[in-house]
Amino acid sequence: MSLWREAAVVARLDFAEVRRSRWLIFCLLVHAVLAGTFVLVGLRESGVVGFTGMGRALMSWSHALLFLLPLLALSATGQVVNSARDDGSLELLLSNPVSRAAYFLGTSLVRVLALVLPLLVAMPVMALVGTVAFGQQVPWGFLVRGMAVSTSLLLCFVAIGLLISVMVRNQAKALMLTILVWIAGVALIDFGLVGVMLQWELPPQAVFALAVINPVQCARLALLSAAQPELSTFGPVGFFLANRIGANGLLLLGLGWPLLLGVTAWVWSLASFRRRDLL
Amino acid sequence: MRVELKGLQKRFGKVLALRGVTIDLPEGSRTALIGPNGSGKSTLVRVLMGMLCADGMVLFDGVEASEERRELARRIAYVPQIAPRLAAPVGDVVRAVAGLRGQAWTEVAAIAAALSLDLDALARRPFRALSGGQRQKILAALALSSGAELLLLDEPTASMDPRSRGEFFRLVESLPSSVTVLLCSHRLDEIRRLVDRVIVLAEGELRWQGSAAAYLDDHAEAVVEVQVVGEPADTWLLARGFTRGATGWWSKALPVNERARLLGEIGRNLNGQVRDVMARDVERLQPDSQGERE
Repeated sequence: MSLWREAAVVARLDFAEVRRSRWLIFCLLVHAVLAGTFVLVGLRESGVVGFTGMGRALMSWSHALLFLLPLLALSATGQVVNSARDDGSLELLLSNPVSRAAYFLGTSLVRVLALVLPLLVAMPVMALVGTVAFGQQVPWGFLVRGMAVSTSLLLCFVAIGLLISVMVRNQAKALMLTILVWIAGVALIDFGLVGVMLQWELPPQAVFALAVINPVQCARLALLSAAQPELSTFGPVGFFLANRIGANGLLLLGLGWPLLLGVTAWVWSLASFRRRDLL
Repeated sequence: MRVELKGLQKRFGKVLALRGVTIDLPEGSRTALIGPNGSGKSTLVRVLMGMLCADGMVLFDGVEASEERRELARRIAYVPQIAPRLAAPVGDVVRAVAGLRGQAWTEVAAIAAALSLDLDALARRPFRALSGGQRQKILAALALSSGAELLLLDEPTASMDPRSRGEFFRLVESLPSSVTVLLCSHRLDEIRRLVDRVIVLAEGELRWQGSAAAYLDDHAEAVVEVQVVGEPADTWLLARGFTRGATGWWSKALPVNERARLLGEIGRNLNGQVRDVMARDVERLQPDSQGERE
């Protein structure tokens, strides 16, 4: 049996597991509630004060997602391998003719699809509902940009979560680490870093470096790159980069850097999973 | 399949779980691997399955187990002591495992039926919703119908009811003589029925190996329990070292090889006074020094 067929068997079984678990329902509910809230509240409110509603709703939703998607991805993946190791399902499956690579590939695919597909469905649906219900124009360009950036960010944090689940055997420790990674991701953006710089007098280069290596910050800048750069919305690092590398540069950075980080983390976790003791 | 372990050593941090274990399991041999908790049994089985790396050599039919173990895994089947509590439906779990091995659903269902389990009726239920015994039967059915050349059984009947246990024994006994069986178990009925050889591990070392009969003579004792009517019978039993329990049963522990003689004596001397009689084996806590020491 080929690697892909083995991975498909693992994926089918893992999907059956995921389908019955609570986090998938939670993930779908979060997307639905967020989308509904932004369409109903955002558009109505924006109509009152005279903003172009749909773009503003999508922008607000995307920003909320930037903080939420890493959390969803980490919580869905940070305990995949170590919990399978603890409950015996890893032992059961890998005592059969299935390679470790196929197991890891199948599991990763299910987690990615379970997280990405609801998002890719919810965003256009939200836009269409806004169009039908409130007669707003759909900003397709921003919608596609938001979907691409969110997907890239999700892939990055799915891979980081899988890496944690492979490297950290203790589930409680893995959970703590995923929370710390998420906090670092959402805290190390411009505004948080400026506070750090003022408090501990860090050199500006260090603040810039910390901001740029943070995939959440890169994704945020990629979303904002559609708008005119302003210090108050972009933050100091974003404002500097927007003027330095331009809107397309920000978009590329926001898509490329999380993707690169994700691929690196995934390859690292796969190599470690194949090499290390499984139990 | 012949399995050879040579100088197997496994360390977990500061703990040496296996200390130079050398074992030869000839093709078709039926061996019990026993030892106290933490003696290294599970580690050894997991090394055999390729889930743990260890120093030393593991040979299957004379060929060293390579990193690519997919083909080898097809020839090995495993029944864990505790089946995982998967949320997926039974049908999906069975189809996944059977699919990986190229087994047909009907083959698995037939073995499951022999173990008093209707696989078709349970197909839609979550695997974790089944009882421990039902889950163990499914895994046993998957292993027994796999056509594997090496069966690794970790207390395979621990959660099964007596009838299913008996049927499981019969199914293992009916396997082709070329199939090698390694059984991790403390249950004397499993050792008596399923194996011809015993290996004892303690603190990661091979401490004892020999025939199952020698092990049972050395490590097991028989308990004969009898319920009688009338004072003469009570007196007779008391004189022969029986003690009376709260429920009226008299019991006596004795070496396994003296059990048949005692049962014969009971039959001859208490004829007509015996209401019920029962004999069973229990493990002796402190093993004697007979047998082949390593």
